[in-house]
Amino acid sequence: MTTASAPGNRGNGARWLRQIWRGISVPLVAVLLAGLIGAVLLQISGANPLQAYGALFKGAFGSPEAIQRTLEKATPLIFSGLAVAFAFKAGLFNIGAQGQLLIGAIVAAFVGFSIEGLPAIIHAPLALLIGGLAGALYGAIPGALKTYTGAHEVIVTIMLNYIAINITDYLADGPWKDPSPTNIVARTPRIMPSAELPIFGNIPLGFIFALVAAVVVWWVLYRTTLGYEIRTVGLNSSAAQYAGIRVARTIILAMAISGFLAGLGGAVETQGIVFRYQPGFNAGLGFDGITTALLGKTSPFGVIPAALLLGAMRAGASQMQFDAGVAKEITDVITAFILFFVAADVIVKWLIRQRESDDEQVVLSKGWGG
Amino acid sequence: MKRIALLVAALLLLAMFAVACGGTTEQTVEEAANEAAETVEETANEAAETVEEAANEAAETVEEAANEAAGEANCADEGVVCVGLVTDVGEIDDKSFNQSAWEGAQQAAEALGAAEVNYIETKDAKDYGANIDLFATQGYDIIVTVGFAMGEATAAAAGTYPDIDFIGVDQFQSETLPNLTGLVFNEDKAGYLAGVLAASMNESGTIASVLGTDLVPPVVAFNEGYKNGALSVNPDITIIDTYHPGGLDVAFTDPEWGASTAQQAIDQGADVIFGAGGKTGNGALIQTAGNEGLWCIGVDTDQWETVPEAHPCLISSAMKLITPGVVDLATMSNNGEFPGGNFYGAVGLAPFHDHEDAVPQDVKDLLTATEAGLQDGSISTGYNPG
Repeated sequence: MTTASAPGNRGNGARWLRQIWRGISVPLVAVLLAGLIGAVLLQISGANPLQAYGALFKGAFGSPEAIQRTLEKATPLIFSGLAVAFAFKAGLFNIGAQGQLLIGAIVAAFVGFSIEGLPAIIHAPLALLIGGLAGALYGAIPGALKTYTGAHEVIVTIMLNYIAINITDYLADGPWKDPSPTNIVARTPRIMPSAELPIFGNIPLGFIFALVAAVVVWWVLYRTTLGYEIRTVGLNSSAAQYAGIRVARTIILAMAISGFLAGLGGAVETQGIVFRYQPGFNAGLGFDGITTALLGKTSPFGVIPAALLLGAMRAGASQMQFDAGVAKEITDVITAFILFFVAADVIVKWLIRQRESDDEQVVLSKGWGG
Repeated sequence: MKRIALLVAALLLLAMFAVACGGTTEQTVEEAANEAAETVEETANEAAETVEEAANEAAETVEEAANEAAGEANCADEGVVCVGLVTDVGEIDDKSFNQSAWEGAQQAAEALGAAEVNYIETKDAKDYGANIDLFATQGYDIIVTVGFAMGEATAAAAGTYPDIDFIGVDQFQSETLPNLTGLVFNEDKAGYLAGVLAASMNESGTIASVLGTDLVPPVVAFNEGYKNGALSVNPDITIIDTYHPGGLDVAFTDPEWGASTAQQAIDQGADVIFGAGGKTGNGALIQTAGNEGLWCIGVDTDQWETVPEAHPCLISSAMKLITPGVVDLATMSNNGEFPGGNFYGAVGLAPFHDHEDAVPQDVKDLLTATEAGLQDGSISTGYNPG
């Protein structure tokens, strides 16, 4: 295609194509394989796979409202995916995006409902910022524990997720509970209209923020000294130390920024979708950030199509149930298979005979050795 | 090898997006002209075939779907009835609320000769509104939404779609919309019947109830009715009633607390245990079943079906009759007599099942008389909410 149209530039074109291919081959084949397995499962469960996938597509992209739904579902995944990807560049596996996202979501809700009389131009960004900072603080904890005590961030972040769930449950059923007489469930009051994020046509503002965040993350990682330090620590922290990089500071900062991104995702969800904090409404958004980041090969720009794909599957799931009578769990199964094939990319590489590995690889176990 | 991988990818892409590009494919393969190229060709051809087949199938499916869509579009027509149901975050076969409501929707659809009856299981609590919209935009006439949690989304949808009647199961309406009826229940009456049964079967002089949190008004109603029903039979009876001390997140999902609380009551001499509070209550039932010669009473649905472990003691359940309630409201909607506001569905005791013979005839007569009295208002449960 490109090679044929630019014969004089053939070498460059091929190299460019090859690089793109390298980036997308594994996720692309993983998605196709998972889709095929999903089709088999659909067939076995008595549904017509093509009709089901058609309904899924219709529910995700078939109308302006459907596209808006897809964007809304993708937005928090972009943030949590960026959070996980960012920490990954520093050699850290942030399983705690879920907890950081919950903290960001409830703090943004608090700023949103407790402050009255601010103009929207100040109130909404303020809630976002404080929500993000709360997530950053929560993310910095495992970073600090890792550098000062050697506690592994995977273990610590998993435990901090439970702590976050219980903190938010307590706040939503205790001091920050919606006091209106008709309310009997655990949830905060609705945020002020001035803290809500608007929707332009069918494009939620939060989605635009997510795209901007991806650009900023890319810029920080590849165009700043801090980014260079983070990537160096991620590749080899001993070498980084030897080169004069302050490893402890870099790790804490990387976890804080990762937490900031996750917290921002929670704040955007609160201010753009739920308009309050309610336990259960943000379930899994942070965990799915891990899926998103791996599917996007931990690249800031790879995260966007990955989140859009997962978001589309969620947005279309109801339509698929409605039109094809398919159990709602099938999209989860397909997602799980996508993740399986991306994580076990040896299988995929064997299938497409791509054995060379001269590019940066996603190494799941990086960091386990300390 | 890199080159081959690249070729396979390019060819797959070509095959995917344009089956007609076979010529180009062959040319490229000839250029490669080696062993691997044959593999590539095979792959490409296979892929092309698969895609062609898929395309044909897709065409058929689209046709089918179009026909079906044409059928569904009838829902919007005058005189064609369609009934839809959206579950709370839960399954349609949960042997509880969602299932009872779905059975009601199906029965109603059959009775009304509905063209379509369909459901959507909600996966994400944020999708309540979107799932209701799926039915509403298809022109469904009656939409059933299940569970307290969907109350806000249902009220919003009722405002948006004034021509559609909404049935909100367990959604108490504090404001009245003409096209939204909350199907709610007098839990105190069901509890009263359970109390009468408990006191009638009681021999030790002590009965107990193990309850979900008193933060939820229906739970309190069940218990107050239970106590007053028992006292109506035996004014001297001792009643040990214990609410779960935790919040909403744990109060209904703590079978261990339910079991230990039931055992405490049993140790204090209680011989009939009323378990009212989701899995917490189920824990109490199962614990009671592990003791000889005791009775237990379930809640909400006929728990004979849902907690088989409790069969040795489960004499009955204090039921909310969701299925007939949904049928009644759907029928009213079809007749243009949709009430709006709140509609109180019937309550009652579940069958005794295997314990039919253990219940004396005079107790059965008393229960029948009590049920009639509660219905015509000659018996008060003594429960006064608010």
